[in-house]
Amino acid sequence: MTLETTACLSAYMVLAYLGGAFAALLPLRSGLTRALTAGGAIAGAGAGIALAARVLIAGEPFALTVPALLTVGGGVALRLDGLGAFFLLLIGVVAAPAALYGVGYSAAYAGRYSLRWLGAMLNLFLLTMSLVVLADNVLTFLLTWEAMSLASYFLVMTEHERDDTVAAGGWYLAMTHVGLALILVAFVLLSPAGGGGGFADLRAAAATLSPALRGVVFVLAVLGFGSKAGLVPLHVWLPRAHPAAPSHVSALMSGAMVKLGVYGILRVALDLLGVGPAWWGALLIGLGAASALVGVLYALTEDDLKRLLAYSSVENVGLVFIGVGAGLLFASLGEPAAATLALAAALYHALNHGVFKALLFLGAGAVAHATGSRDMNRLGGLIGRLPWTAACFLVGALAIGGLPPFNGFVSEWLLFQSLLPAIGSGAPLVAPVMTLAVGALALTAGLAAAAFVKAFGITFLALPRSDEARAAHEAPVTMRVAMVVLAALCALLGLGAAFVLPVLGGLLAGHAGLPRVAPALTAGPLLLPPGGGASMSPSLLAIGLLLALAGAWLAVRVGAARGLRVGDTWGCGRIGQTARMEYTSTAYAEPLRRVFAELYRPTEDLTIDVHPESRYFVQSRTYRSEIVPWFERYVYAPLVRWVAAGAAHTRAIQSGSAHAYLAYLVVALLALLAISLAWSASL
Amino acid sequence: MDSLFAQLVVLESSLALIFGLVLLWRRGVPAYVNAFTWQSLVLAAVAATVGWFGRERELYLVAALLIAVKGIAIPRLLRRMERRFGTERELAPYVNTATSLVVAGLLVLFGGAVMRPVVAASELPTRAGMPLAMGLVLVSLFVVVSRKKALTQVIGFLMLENGIALLALLGAYGIPLIVELGVFLDALMGFLVMQIFVYRIHETFDTLDVDQLDRLRH
Amino acid sequence: MTGWAIEIAQAALVLALAPGLVGVVRWLKARLQSRRGAPPWQPYYELRKLFGKDVIVSSNASWLFRLAPYVVFASTAAAACLVPSLAVTRPLDAVGDLLVLVYLLLLGTVFLSLAGLDPGSAFGGMGSSREMTVAALAEPTVALAIFALALSAGSTNLGQIVGRTLADPAAALSPGHLLAFAALFVVMLAETGRLPVDNPATHLELTMIHEAMVLEYSGRYLALIEWAAALKLLVFFALLGNLFVPWGVAAVAAPAPLALALGSLLVKLAVIAVVVAVLETRVAKLRLFRVPELLSVSFVLALLAVTSSFLGR
Repeated sequence: MTLETTACLSAYMVLAYLGGAFAALLPLRSGLTRALTAGGAIAGAGAGIALAARVLIAGEPFALTVPALLTVGGGVALRLDGLGAFFLLLIGVVAAPAALYGVGYSAAYAGRYSLRWLGAMLNLFLLTMSLVVLADNVLTFLLTWEAMSLASYFLVMTEHERDDTVAAGGWYLAMTHVGLALILVAFVLLSPAGGGGGFADLRAAAATLSPALRGVVFVLAVLGFGSKAGLVPLHVWLPRAHPAAPSHVSALMSGAMVKLGVYGILRVALDLLGVGPAWWGALLIGLGAASALVGVLYALTEDDLKRLLAYSSVENVGLVFIGVGAGLLFASLGEPAAATLALAAALYHALNHGVFKALLFLGAGAVAHATGSRDMNRLGGLIGRLPWTAACFLVGALAIGGLPPFNGFVSEWLLFQSLLPAIGSGAPLVAPVMTLAVGALALTAGLAAAAFVKAFGITFLALPRSDEARAAHEAPVTMRVAMVVLAALCALLGLGAAFVLPVLGGLLAGHAGLPRVAPALTAGPLLLPPGGGASMSPSLLAIGLLLALAGAWLAVRVGAARGLRVGDTWGCGRIGQTARMEYTSTAYAEPLRRVFAELYRPTEDLTIDVHPESRYFVQSRTYRSEIVPWFERYVYAPLVRWVAAGAAHTRAIQSGSAHAYLAYLVVALLALLAISLAWSASL
Repeated sequence: MDSLFAQLVVLESSLALIFGLVLLWRRGVPAYVNAFTWQSLVLAAVAATVGWFGRERELYLVAALLIAVKGIAIPRLLRRMERRFGTERELAPYVNTATSLVVAGLLVLFGGAVMRPVVAASELPTRAGMPLAMGLVLVSLFVVVSRKKALTQVIGFLMLENGIALLALLGAYGIPLIVELGVFLDALMGFLVMQIFVYRIHETFDTLDVDQLDRLRH
Repeated sequence: MTGWAIEIAQAALVLALAPGLVGVVRWLKARLQSRRGAPPWQPYYELRKLFGKDVIVSSNASWLFRLAPYVVFASTAAAACLVPSLAVTRPLDAVGDLLVLVYLLLLGTVFLSLAGLDPGSAFGGMGSSREMTVAALAEPTVALAIFALALSAGSTNLGQIVGRTLADPAAALSPGHLLAFAALFVVMLAETGRLPVDNPATHLELTMIHEAMVLEYSGRYLALIEWAAALKLLVFFALLGNLFVPWGVAAVAAPAPLALALGSLLVKLAVIAVVVAVLETRVAKLRLFRVPELLSVSFVLALLAVTSSFLGR
C-alpha cells in the first residue's frame, strides 16, 4: 500500500507539472493561462510535498526504475531517500507560493512577452528540479540537471527586450554549462569501468578508488555543483541572472535551484564517496566563509534591491557550506554526533533561506510591480502605500538578519553550536579553521543585519524619494497571499524548530561517517546540541518576548500619560522636511564602505558646475562612485580574453573553402582507420 | 550453394565498385546519373540475393525500396536538376583523371587492408565482398572531396550511401528494418537539402563551382 | 517553584536598578570633573517625567516608529532575564545561552535603527547607519569572546560558564579569560554608547550615534528607550562581573547565599561603574572612522583569547 501511494504521488506530481505546462501553451485568454500555469504548478508542488513528507516520516525510501526509456546508460531510475525528500520538500514549499504569486505578477507581461511560454517553462522548471532529486543514476541526473538549466535560462530571458537581461542570460548559460562539464567529468571518473551508472554501483565502486582519484572527484564536484549554488569564485552569474528574471522565478532560483547545488555536493560527498580526509571539509569551510563574506560585503553597497538580494543568496549559500564543511570535517575526524549536528544545521539553514529569500524576492517584486523601479534611491515611504508587502518584507528581513525568534536565528545559532565541538578534537589544523569560521560567521551575521536594515528601511520607511514611489499601490490579492504564507512559514519554522530538527537528524542517519541512529537533538521544546550543555528554545523565547511586550504595553497603558500628537519631524529644530533630506541607500552604506575600502577600492568622481558669473553659485553637482568588481575584473575578464584570443587563432582553419572542410573530414577518417588497423594488428 | 552465393555477391559488389569508378573516369553529369542508377539497381540485386540465400524476407522490401527511390525517383530528380543547371561541363577537377584513378586504386587497396581483420572474424558467406564495399565508400568520399561541381558532389554523396548500405548488407545481412528506413529517410532528406543548396548556390554565384563559396567569407 | 521566584526577583531587581546605574556613572563623572552633578537617582525622576508627558510623533513616521520602543524594551528585558545576576542555576538557563543574549540585544538595535530611519530626518539616518556599522563590526569580537569562554567551560550555557569558574578559581586568571574580558570590555563601550565610541551626553549632531537615532522620540516612548539603554548597560556590567569574577553568585537557592549574591552584584557593578567613569573622563571621543580600529583591536584580543584557550588545554 505504501509503495503504491508513493508511486501514485510521484505520478501525480509529474502529471500535474506536465499538465500545467501543456495547458499553459494553449491559446487562451491571458488570465486563464496564468491561472492554469499556477494551478498546475501548485498541484505539482503539493504532490511533491506530500511525497516528500511521506518518505521523511515513514523513513523508507521509494524507488522506481523505467529501463525501457533511454536504454543507454541503464534507463531512467528514480529513487527518493531522506536526503532527496528533504530537498523535494524545499522545492515544493517555495514553488507553491511563488506560482500563486505569478498569477498576479505576470499580468504585467500580457501583450509584451509570451505568457504561454513563461507558464510552460515554469512548470517544466519545477518538474525537472523535482526529478533531479529523484534521479538515481548518472544519466537521469545529468539529463534532468541540463533540462533544469535550460528551462531556467528561458525563464531568465523572459524580459528579453532589455539589454541587461540578454547579457545576464549569456553569463548564466555559459557558467551553468561549465558546471555541467565539471559534474560530467566527476561522474565519469566515479563510474566503475564497464559497470552501470546507477548510484548504487557508484557507491560500491567509490570504495575501491584511490585517494587521489577520490580527491579529484570531490574537487570537481565542488566546483561543478558550487557553480550552480553560487560559491565564490563561480558566483558571478547570480547577481546578474536573479535580478533579470521575473520575481517569482528569482524566488524559485534563489530559494530552490541554488540548493540543488548543495544537494549535489551532499549526494556526491556524503552518499557516494563516503568518509573522506579532513581537507575536504576544510576546503568547503574555506570556500563557504569566503562566499559568505564576499556576498554580504557586495550586498551592503548595492542600490538595486534585487541585486542586493542576489548577493545575499551568495552569502547564505556560503553559510550553508560552512555547515556542510564542518559536518564533513567532523565525520572524517571520527566525531559522528558533531557531524550530524553540523549537517542538520546546514540543511536547516538551506530550508530557512529558501523560505525567507523567496519571501524577500516576492516582496521586491511587489515593490517593482508597484513603482516600476528596483533602485532603492528612488523608493521610500512604501510602508503606508504597500502595508501588506511591507509587513511581510519586514518579517523576511528580520528572519534573514538572524534575529530571534525567527527561523534564520535558529539555524545561525545551530551553525555556531556546531562549530564549537572543535574543542575536543586534537587534530592540528582544526582549531584555526574553526576559529576563523566562527569569526567569519559572526561578521557575516552582523553585516547581513546591517544590509537588511538598509534594504527595508530605505525602501519602505520615511518619505518617497520619487514620483513613482509616491504613486505606488498595493499588490493584487494573489501576490499578497503568497507573501503572507511565506511569512507565516518563517515564523513557524523558527518556533517549530524542535519538530524540524529531529527529522533532519533522522534523514542524515546512516550516511557516511554518521551514526546509524541519530543523536537526540531536542528535548521537548529545547534544542540540545550534543556534546555540550548549551540549549535553546525558540518557542519559549518567543513566548517570553511576547509576554515582555504585552507587559510593557500594559504597564505603559496603565501608568503613563496617553496623549499623542502628530507633528512635523523635529530634526533639531530645522524647519521643513523633504525627501531630499533623507538618508539614501548609498549614504547608509558609506561608513562600512569606508571601513572596507581596501576590498572595495571605491572610485569617486565629483563634478561641480558653477554659474559662469560667480563660482559661489553652484548649479549642479554630480557624484559618481563605483566599486571594483574583483571577480569580474581580475578573474573573468582575463579568462574571456584568453578564450577569445585562442578562438581567433583557431579561426585560421576556417578557410571558407568547402573542399578544405571535406578534405579535413576524409583525412581524419582515413587516419582513424589506419590507427585502428595498426592497433588491431598489434594486439 | 554457399559458393554460388559468395560468387554472385562478389560479382555484384565488383559491378557496384566499377560503376563508382565511372565518376572518376567520365565527364558530364548525365553519365554520372546513369552510373548511379545502374549502381543502385545492382545494389537492389545484392539485397535480393542476400534475401534469397540468407532467407531474410525483409531484404526484398529493401530491394524494392532501393529500386523505387534510388533507381527511379532520385535519378529523375537529378536529371531535372541537370537540365536546369547543366550548361557547364565538368570544370577542371583538383586532381586530373589519371591521378584520380590511381588514387582510387590505392584507396580500394587501403579499404581492403582495413577490412581484413573484419573479414577474418566474420563467418558469413558474403564476407568476401566487404573489402569492395569499403573501397566504394572511400572512393565516393574522394569524389566528394576532389570534384568542384556541386551536382557531382551530390552524386558522390549518394554513392557513399550506397556503399554504406552495401557494407551493411554484406556484413550483417542488412540492418534492422527500422534503422534501414531511418537511413533512407536521412538520405532523402539530405538529398532534398542539397537540392535546395544547389539552387541557392546557382542563384547567388551563377555557377555551381563550390570553390566560389569562399567568396562568402569576406 | 523557588527557581521561578528567583527569576522574577532577578528580573524585578534588574529593571529597578538599571536607571540607578546610569545615574551613578553620571554622578561619578561629574564628581571627577569637579562638578556637583545631579544625584545618582536623577534618572528615576527623568523617567517619571517622561512617562507623564504627551508624545509627539512625526507625520512621516509609520506604525514601526510606535512599535519600536516596545520591542527594544522587551528584547532588552528578555536579555536581562537571561543574565545570571543572582543565581547560577535557574529555569531560564536552558531557554537561552550567551549567544541568544547577544542576538536579543541585536534585535533591539535593529528595531531602533529602523525607527531612526522612519521619520525621515537626516540625523536619524546618520545615527542608524553608524549604529549598524558599529554593531556589525562588534559582532565578530563578541562571537570569538564567547567562543573563548565556551572553550574553557564546555558550552555557551551561561550557568555552565559561571559554574566552571566557580569550580576552578585558577581559571579566572588564565590568559584566555583575561583577554576575553578585555575584548568584551571594549565591546561593551561600543554597544552601550559610551566614550570613546559615542558620547551619551552630547547633543552635537556629528558626534552622536545612539542619541541621533532617538532624536524624534518623546514622552513614554523615549522613557522606554532610555530605560532599555540603561538595562543594556546593566546587562553588560553584570555579564562582565558575573562571568569573569563569579564569586558571590548563589549556587543554591537559599536566603543567605542570595543576599550575598545581591551584595556582591552591587559591589561589582559599583567597581565597573567607577572604572567606566574614570575612563570616560580621561579619554576623548574617537572620530567615527577610528572606531573600526578600536574594534579591530578588540577583535585581535578576542582572537588571542581563543588561541590561548586552545593552547591552554
